[in-house]
Amino acid sequence: MEIGSFIKLQRVKQGMTQEELADGIVSMSYLSKIENQRTEASPEVISMLCTRLGIELDSDKDITIKEKCENWFNMLFEVNDKKEITETYNELSELLALVRSDSLMMFEIHKIRYFLILGEYDNALEQINKLNEVSGSFDSLHLFYWYKFKGNYSSLNSEFAQAMRMYKHAEDKLNQIKLDEEQVADLQYTMAVTHSKLRNTLESIEYANKAIDLFQKEYNFIRCAQCHIVLGISYRRIKMYDKAIKHYNLARHLGELNKSKQVIQLTNQNLGYLYSSVGDSKEAIKHFIEVVEDEKLEINERLLGLTNLIKEYYKIQNFDQATKELERAKHLLQLSTDNVNHRLYEYIIHTFSYAISEQHEQFTSLVMEEFLPYLQKRKDYGNLIVYSNMLAKHFEKVGRYKDSVKYYKLANLTYEEVVNI
Amino acid sequence: MKKMIAAIALGTLLVGGFLFTQDNQPTDVATGESEPSILKAMSINTSFDF
Repeated sequence: MEIGSFIKLQRVKQGMTQEELADGIVSMSYLSKIENQRTEASPEVISMLCTRLGIELDSDKDITIKEKCENWFNMLFEVNDKKEITETYNELSELLALVRSDSLMMFEIHKIRYFLILGEYDNALEQINKLNEVSGSFDSLHLFYWYKFKGNYSSLNSEFAQAMRMYKHAEDKLNQIKLDEEQVADLQYTMAVTHSKLRNTLESIEYANKAIDLFQKEYNFIRCAQCHIVLGISYRRIKMYDKAIKHYNLARHLGELNKSKQVIQLTNQNLGYLYSSVGDSKEAIKHFIEVVEDEKLEINERLLGLTNLIKEYYKIQNFDQATKELERAKHLLQLSTDNVNHRLYEYIIHTFSYAISEQHEQFTSLVMEEFLPYLQKRKDYGNLIVYSNMLAKHFEKVGRYKDSVKYYKLANLTYEEVVNI
Repeated sequence: MKKMIAAIALGTLLVGGFLFTQDNQPTDVATGESEPSILKAMSINTSFDF
């Protein structure tokens, strides 16, 4: 990292103006030239500026910092110990505040991913805004991570089209830099997931296959399993069910070999969904039950399994079992009030509760006035189709044909939007 | 001349429409199907909660 960019970054980080930093050392316009690398300042000037910023210039320490930084960057991809990541982060922050290091810019960029991993999205956005000011001085490697992590931020905020734009920028940088194959595979895997979210099925298959090839070479079987799940979802969507099942089974096998409960249960979740979509409720229920019964699993994943199970029991009109599962879902929901999908699950649970107990007024009022507008706002088109259909069927059953047509039409229009006819 | 104006107007509408649909791509459409996380390699020891 150039000394000019380093000084600018440190000044911005400390909230200092150019005038304050330059005062008594150089003119403001000269400092601006140094920061923008339009001139090379003398070592004395650099030393004075660094002293004012409270930074040491020590090349021995820089080597240690570089190693520590690389270790920490790797943790952000593979190590699952939050405590260890935070401890190393604190140690590095302290070191980098005192010593001039070439790794500083990379560290600052990786902080975006760090905050995302901790779920601190506001801090990640603040970091992105802070780095925007100095992004003009990024080299190709910096730009690769900059775009990738900005894409990660958009992905986690469900802005998948924007995320994809960022990932494509990162991908464009690949031919200008030299990266480990695993890093390339990670970007390809991320793009496969994002294409899947956007329902770009063929692209999702293409990227997942590319990523699998590289992860296999690195013997990273968990990541391979994750790619197989993405492929399973994609093949189900294009109705190639045998191929989808094959990929899910491969994912489960890899999950079992690596004792990864999450991979196994995510496979069950998706296999259940596949069997449900082909009308095999018995098999679907079997897989959903496996997810629901696993108490080691995170509540969000169990709630997804439970709502799927409730839908399936409702579909085959086994209302006793559906009611039993609804009680279990209500209990789980109380345990996870900070869940991002809390409201969605709450609406689903109440919708089925009212539908099963035939509380028609409560059912129509909840779905019409609250649930459907909520799904429209979230652009959750899949659920919008499911629940506007459910409401339309209800209206049809009670003879309110005009209302029924209205919601069948909503489901139909939403479907057209999803498939981009 | 009229034909040309009509052609330009139609072309603008088509391009505008295309750009509009590009920017209004559906976002998360999961209804029970669930993709793995983009951030973590899943393991039984995981302590992440996203």
